[in-house]
Amino acid sequence: MSFIEKNNKERLDFVDKWSKYVLEHDDKTWSKQQNVIINSGLKSAKMTKEEYLNMKEKTQS
Amino acid sequence: MKFISKKEILIDKELSELDLFTLDFIKILKKYTNYVIVSGYVSILLGRSRVSEDVDIIIPKLDFKKFELLADDLKKNNFYCLNNEKNRDIYDYLVKNTAVRFAKKNTVIPNIEIKFEKNKFDKISLNNTIKVKIENYEIVISQLELQIAFKEKVLKSQKDMEDARHIRNVANEHLNFELIDSYKVMLNEFY
Repeated sequence: MSFIEKNNKERLDFVDKWSKYVLEHDDKTWSKQQNVIINSGLKSAKMTKEEYLNMKEKTQS
Repeated sequence: MKFISKKEILIDKELSELDLFTLDFIKILKKYTNYVIVSGYVSILLGRSRVSEDVDIIIPKLDFKKFELLADDLKKNNFYCLNNEKNRDIYDYLVKNTAVRFAKKNTVIPNIEIKFEKNKFDKISLNNTIKVKIENYEIVISQLELQIAFKEKVLKSQKDMEDARHIRNVANEHLNFELIDSYKVMLNEFY
């Protein structure tokens, strides 16, 4: 198995573990943890409008 | 998370900044049109552990008069369009099937990417929606089967495959797997 295949498998394994956690715990419990990722990710993302639109144009083309 | 029916999901979650931003936008949007949220935010709303800087929304094609009312209301509520300032130019983008983005003034992220319905899959998304109820709020998302099919058949990036996997896992008992397969066949012919 290549490094990329191994990495992708590990990522999918984590998706499975996390979705199991979501199903087995109440919504407040998992969402509190999810919000740490979302809120900190949004806070740390700093870009100008032009940089952002250029980036989106390149990734979508 | 409770799947009440094929058309309704209840989630008793703590709202993230992305949820609050989205709710702020759709509170205005729904005064002027129906809408459907598609793509990454659907899986995030259902608990996927990742961030997205944008939320994708499809709306039916509006005439300019109605669009202008919407755009003015958004501006009045502290939103601006990243692509252009003038309502007519923003509208022209949409008519030419180019999505436009709205964010809160003096910010870029998060933002809403909005586009007019342009093909039969957008139409299916608009006509087959699920209401996600959180506290007293309501968010309209696309049918999960179409989201899974689109991510697995068309988008296929690692992120999209993981989003689809998450939706499959959390909604497993409520999914119509034959419908996912039939959407994949339709998408095969289309893309």
